[in-house]
Amino acid sequence: MSLLLRPFGDGALRAHLPEGANARAVLDALRAVPRVVDAIVTERHAVVSFEPEARPDGLAEAIERALSAGSAASAPRDHIVRVRYEGEDLDELAIRAGLAPADVISLHAEGTYVVALVGFLPGFGYLRGLDPRLVVPRRANPRPRILPLSVAVAGPYTGIYPFASPGGWNLIGTAVGFSPFDVRSGAALALGDRVRFVRDGS
Amino acid sequence: MIEIGAITGLATVQDGGRPGHMHDGVPPGGPLVPELLGRANAAARNAPGEAAIEAFGGLTLVARAPVVLASDDGEARVLAIGEAYALRREETAVRYVAVRGGIAVPVVFGGRGTLLVAAFGGHEGRPLRRGDVLRAGDAPPEHRPPGLPVDTAPAVPVVLGPDLDRFDAETIDAFLASTFTIDARSDRVGTRLSGTRLVCAPDPGAPSAPMVRGAIQVPPSGEPIVLGPDHPTTGGYPVIATVVRRHLGSLAARPIGATVRFVT
Repeated sequence: MSLLLRPFGDGALRAHLPEGANARAVLDALRAVPRVVDAIVTERHAVVSFEPEARPDGLAEAIERALSAGSAASAPRDHIVRVRYEGEDLDELAIRAGLAPADVISLHAEGTYVVALVGFLPGFGYLRGLDPRLVVPRRANPRPRILPLSVAVAGPYTGIYPFASPGGWNLIGTAVGFSPFDVRSGAALALGDRVRFVRDGS
Repeated sequence: MIEIGAITGLATVQDGGRPGHMHDGVPPGGPLVPELLGRANAAARNAPGEAAIEAFGGLTLVARAPVVLASDDGEARVLAIGEAYALRREETAVRYVAVRGGIAVPVVFGGRGTLLVAAFGGHEGRPLRRGDVLRAGDAPPEHRPPGLPVDTAPAVPVVLGPDLDRFDAETIDAFLASTFTIDARSDRVGTRLSGTRLVCAPDPGAPSAPMVRGAIQVPPSGEPIVLGPDHPTTGGYPVIATVVRRHLGSLAARPIGATVRFVT
């Protein structure tokens, strides 16, 4: 079965990925294809961009090979992020989840998370692995400005805001001693990396 | 050296962009209207993507050292120390001022352009203010024809999709039959369109998907947003069509209140 690549304008193509695809393997494979200017992989899609007059060949094959190999060319990294759990929405989140605020903190800090996609802002990682009891929707009224390094949850994800930004996620804390984005090295979190949070001071 | 005098509206340093970093969440950047940046740079004898000022409003520049300066009108001027140049707001949404040798701001993460959301690139990662002093770079001179000014009259060619399965046939017809107006909330992140509201099937569980410049997203309000050079790299709204790349400038050059139609 050949993978379908749909036109995304005249300078990009988009493929639909099967559930559970190794996004990091797909990203590594696509970035290695000649004439690919950029590739971006989310949980269900891969997009490559290129110059319209220099369309790359072999994209579907590269994705298929990555899907069947299952492992990425580059090794995922482990990150430990210290968090001060005093976010503005901690109490409200606890009420919505039917838990004590201390339990919200323990459940969040006990998890092991995987970077499922990088996007929205430079260095913003959507982390999977949230305890199901902490899965709550975004806030009905997004905030106009969320401070950088805010640690937040929304739906099945948790994440760290790299920059001040509007946002609708529920704020539970602030990351300490962590740089989500560096202008020399780029995003700290890459697809497939593992992240653990520890309570600051513990 | 030039000093920023009077300034109305947003002005930033922009260049040809920093493509290739979307997987880090960094948008490609680049000029809103490549044709106009290219014209200003050609007149200043720079490469087409050399760093220059992109201005949404009027701007006065004062020479603090002799400088050769050119705007997108395609004419170069030599300014002596203390001489001023006023860039007036014209019929395009943005205008460009280049200086011979380019504007000497550091290359940050593969480009010299300002990315406001991440506060890096350009002049200290922020909009230009009165009193800022910019140095001219020492890029070797290039000789190129200035190119044509951008034409903002015609319908903008698009490729339909990739989320056509989220729209019914009537909505796609309405999209192609409508004349939209450029909304005042437009910026480098996106050009917002008002007029016909497009209907799309709500899907709150739609996963965030990769985005590209020129993607025409339809949010729940039904008023389309055409993603600009500083767009979020992922988004959850369905994309009804995507602007053909060499026509991005024709769309982005249209000022607030101007109209646009899309054709396949």
